Amino acid sequence: MAQATATTADSKLWGGGRSPFNVSYGKMMMWFFLLSDTFTFGAFLISYGTNRFFSAVWPDPNKVFKAFPMMGHMSLPLLFVSIMTFILIMSSVTMVLAVHAGHYGDRKGVIKWLLFTIVGGICFLSCQAWEWTHLHSEGAWWGSFTDFSAPASSIEHFFRAKAISNPAFAAGAGMQATHDFYNFFFTITGFHGAHVASGVVLLIIALVNSVNGTYDRRGHYEMVEKIGLYWHFVDLVWVFVFTCFYLL
Amino acid sequence: MSHTHNDHNTQHFYEGDQSKLYSGVMNPHFGHDITAPDSKKQVGRIWKVFWILLVVTIVEVILGMFFSHHLPEGLVAFFFLTLTLLKAAYIVSVFMHLGDERRNFLITVLIPLVLFIWFIIAFLADGDFWLHMNSTSPTRDVAAIVSIK
Repeated sequence: MAQATATTADSKLWGGGRSPFNVSYGKMMMWFFLLSDTFTFGAFLISYGTNRFFSAVWPDPNKVFKAFPMMGHMSLPLLFVSIMTFILIMSSVTMVLAVHAGHYGDRKGVIKWLLFTIVGGICFLSCQAWEWTHLHSEGAWWGSFTDFSAPASSIEHFFRAKAISNPAFAAGAGMQATHDFYNFFFTITGFHGAHVASGVVLLIIALVNSVNGTYDRRGHYEMVEKIGLYWHFVDLVWVFVFTCFYLL
Repeated sequence: MSHTHNDHNTQHFYEGDQSKLYSGVMNPHFGHDITAPDSKKQVGRIWKVFWILLVVTIVEVILGMFFSHHLPEGLVAFFFLTLTLLKAAYIVSVFMHLGDERRNFLITVLIPLVLFIWFIIAFLADGDFWLHMNSTSPTRDVAAIVSIK
């Protein structure tokens, strides 16, 4: 008996008192929250895909997202959203640099990179606000495009020639698809935008705490790391939203 | 008392400030010089991933702007999804440091994602089936429904 006990104690089995994953409780819970959020976003995007798969026609992203601020009616497909994507990737880099500075207890570095990240987040949200405003000015919103008796010309500019020539298009599938497309677009980018907005709030809190020296007194910058995980996740979701809505 | 349990008094860790348990993989660097070579190496890795993400995104945009209309749809979707997963892997592994965590934690986080394989196949196949039904069944035909109206 004593022998067995000694063996157990000597082995490298987890004995409590420390994290078995070498990850703190808060960080692990952030990962699990992000995992649950992955399924929320996944469900959104998959329902979008299901809807698209059962529609005979679907709007073409190159026709829907072709406007650029100050460029009037010029057709510049994907350009604006590419800039939004670049801003978010850039803010992800500044975030990971803030986390890195936190690992070394470099307060000034953390403050600098958090500031850049906040600016990036606000730039992204501003871009999204412009894009939503622009689409709204074209008549798109939640619950828009429901009039099946409206002439085809009211929605034709969202589709490729191949879709317009599909007999189902004029029979109602075109209007239905436009309606569905915008409902999904505003819901999913809106849900993502809400994540970015709350991320910016969290970053501002972390910035204030860093300036006040809260994390130095605590002895670690784990809070910056946890908010960083959230921020990268938001970037990660955008990678998928970008593919599903703008590329495919 | 047997020695199977840790004798150290760790109760206060659980009752007080949870953050005292912080022992992240990067914590040993705390207070070290950020201009030291190991730090610079890590920063270099971050920027390398940034350039990879940027180049992949530019490739995606060029593909979307100029080529997606001229190639088979399935091939385009395959390209985009592969590049997207590549970007996701870099973000999770390097930016979120999951690649630096212990392997058992990595597996704990990643295994639930296997559900997505079923999730995607089942729902997209269902959507496809509905389209098939709509375009073959006379009562489900969009044109027929509109003409009845």
